[in-house]
Amino acid sequence: MSLTDVRLTRSEEPKHAPPPRAKFWLYRFDTKTVPYLLIAPFFILFAIFGLFPIIFNGVVALRHWRLDDPTLTGWAGMENFTKLASDTDFWDALVNTFGIFILSTVPQLLIALMLANLLNRKLRGATFWRIGVLLPYVTPVAASTLVFAVFFSRDYGMANWLLSLVGFGEEQPLDWRATTWSSWIAIATMVNWKWIGYNALLYLSAMQAIPKDVYEAAAVDGAGPWRQLWRITVPMIQPVVLFTVILSTIGGLQLFNEPMLFDENPALANGGYDHQWRTIAQLIYKVGWRDLNLGYAAAMSWALFLIILIVAAINALATRRLGGGK
Amino acid sequence: MERFGRRAARVGAAGLAAALAIAGCSGQALEGNDSSTEGGQVTLKVNFWGDMGLDQLKAKYEADHPNVKIVLNSGEYNAQHEDLQKKLVAGSGAPDISAVDEGFIVQFRSQADQFVNLNDKGASSFESKYLPWKWQASQSTDGKQIGLGTDVGGLAMCYRTDLFKAAGLPTERDKVSELWKTWDQFIETGKTYTAKTGKKFVDSATNLFNPVLSQQPVGFYDPQETLQMEGGPKAGFDVAMKAIDAGLSANLASFQPNWDQGFTKDQFAVLACPAWMLGHIQKTAPNQAGKWDIAAIPGGGGNWGGSWWTIPKQGKNVDEAYKFVEWLVQPEQQIEVFKKVGNLPSQPELYKNKEILDFKKEFFSNAPTGQIFATTAENLKPQYLGKKNGPTRVAVENVINRVQQGQLKSADAWAEAVKEAEKASKS
Repeated sequence: MSLTDVRLTRSEEPKHAPPPRAKFWLYRFDTKTVPYLLIAPFFILFAIFGLFPIIFNGVVALRHWRLDDPTLTGWAGMENFTKLASDTDFWDALVNTFGIFILSTVPQLLIALMLANLLNRKLRGATFWRIGVLLPYVTPVAASTLVFAVFFSRDYGMANWLLSLVGFGEEQPLDWRATTWSSWIAIATMVNWKWIGYNALLYLSAMQAIPKDVYEAAAVDGAGPWRQLWRITVPMIQPVVLFTVILSTIGGLQLFNEPMLFDENPALANGGYDHQWRTIAQLIYKVGWRDLNLGYAAAMSWALFLIILIVAAINALATRRLGGGK
Repeated sequence: MERFGRRAARVGAAGLAAALAIAGCSGQALEGNDSSTEGGQVTLKVNFWGDMGLDQLKAKYEADHPNVKIVLNSGEYNAQHEDLQKKLVAGSGAPDISAVDEGFIVQFRSQADQFVNLNDKGASSFESKYLPWKWQASQSTDGKQIGLGTDVGGLAMCYRTDLFKAAGLPTERDKVSELWKTWDQFIETGKTYTAKTGKKFVDSATNLFNPVLSQQPVGFYDPQETLQMEGGPKAGFDVAMKAIDAGLSANLASFQPNWDQGFTKDQFAVLACPAWMLGHIQKTAPNQAGKWDIAAIPGGGGNWGGSWWTIPKQGKNVDEAYKFVEWLVQPEQQIEVFKKVGNLPSQPELYKNKEILDFKKEFFSNAPTGQIFATTAENLKPQYLGKKNGPTRVAVENVINRVQQGQLKSADAWAEAVKEAEKASKS
């Protein structure tokens, strides 16, 4: 018996009284079309604001396109990319991006883990603390960064005031923007401040799904809190750790607002007078909107995209190893 | 086949619904546009930075022209120019009228087809009224006029009489001018001041570099667009390095919050002053009225800034916009702006106008600002500012700032500045 036969026999089966045609159509519309209608806005918007810019960007990257020189146009082939390979600005920015990325991501996730571990205990006013750690996350990044820019200012900044309390920099106040390491620390502080609470809450929600008896068994076996954290909690929340690592990799490598607004004159997109903290995203902005060289900026964007893909993949692999390789 | 058709229809329906939703949004956006004409009512959006003295003029113009509404939009200097550039590329969204500064005029006049050629609207009759270089600077190579000049900077040196007095320096403007005929004398004055008070003398070495540069016959670029670092830029750079080595610079980035704070905290005693700077000082340190005065700048002459009113072609009401601009550059309005915020007109006839010559600014110890700045503007030898003038200036200023921050030795700085300037010229 073939499949066609099955269908035929089925269609010949006696039916109930057929519903009115209009109602039937409406029912079909509701079950078959409405779901598509409901998810369509996302896909349409994604196509317009996500997919199209990415593809268009790829096209622009292969072209000459200078806003200040409309005559220079046409296909460039790989020219923008070969220029990129020998552009010290780009490689310097890459080093800065990774430096700030490591300074922000590693402490951020570690502190978030500790914080989540604390919040996971029985606390007085647990909800208060849990909402509290989320406050930096809901603060608009431009607002908090501007406050930090003042916090780290040379002459009347609060950071220097705090340092002066412990007797540092009384003769010559620390110019946070002058040296590479101090500017990186300042920017990493802003990033950490914003994202620690967010990550801590993600870890906390995952921790609460871990059965209590696992800990009890471990405690009976003589595992202390530290050992419990690293041997039970971290492996059991590994999917969330993976998620946060990938997310902060993407965020860290696209870092823009903080270095941008940290500059004394943000409109210049300098990233320090020696470009000592200029990130790639900032360089893309500068090349695109200050040098008005859109083709080259697009090529940089694509390079950044590839770099993020590679680093996120490496991090994902490493994190998976962290949980599974015990 | 029939199955596929049905699925396609479903997806199509979904797409249509979303498209309608989006179309609805954009329709709203269009209605919300700032420049619109409804029932003969015209709204003109004017973009500029700082205070160009338009508040009262707006009210006056609106009273005389009941069908015109003017929206003033003051923003940050760089941001306004960059915004204009973006909107020109996008083809929509630009203001009806936009101020363009000297530092950006070359960039925009090379896109003259994006602007209304004001000569077509009858602006050519004003040519004889303007300083010739001012008229030419906003003209494209094929003779299109994209802007009508509003002010020129001129250059003088503002100083704090109270701080000078405390340091035992003369306070009268003529004597102060005598004190620093050359930049070397200026540095010596600074050393005396710093030695006496232990305070810094100038706001930033970059604000010495720029005036000295503007006094040179050739700036960063010659008219053939070749970078000329060994001439004007070197002269300015040397003065900047001397000031830093003598410990005179407070190292404050201009027009940024720390700089504004520097005014009120007495962090510096002198400031290179184009005419339009007077308005900024008054606004930033209102309680220092009478504590400022204006002397001649060392080296004599020079110019810093000055703007044009331009009309982007994409606007819907270019005719009404032109009428307003034409009204703005009439002597009566130019004099009013001068009195209010200090911006010096760019029409030399007004330099002989009694109202300008007799005008004394109370805030600046009754300095005759009209006489001071009119003289500098008339003696001005304009410099050619190349297409890459802006980025090149930023690159060299960055090097000066690295020296100010102590991250680079002044002896090594010039080689670095040349390197960075060459890079910027190719950017």
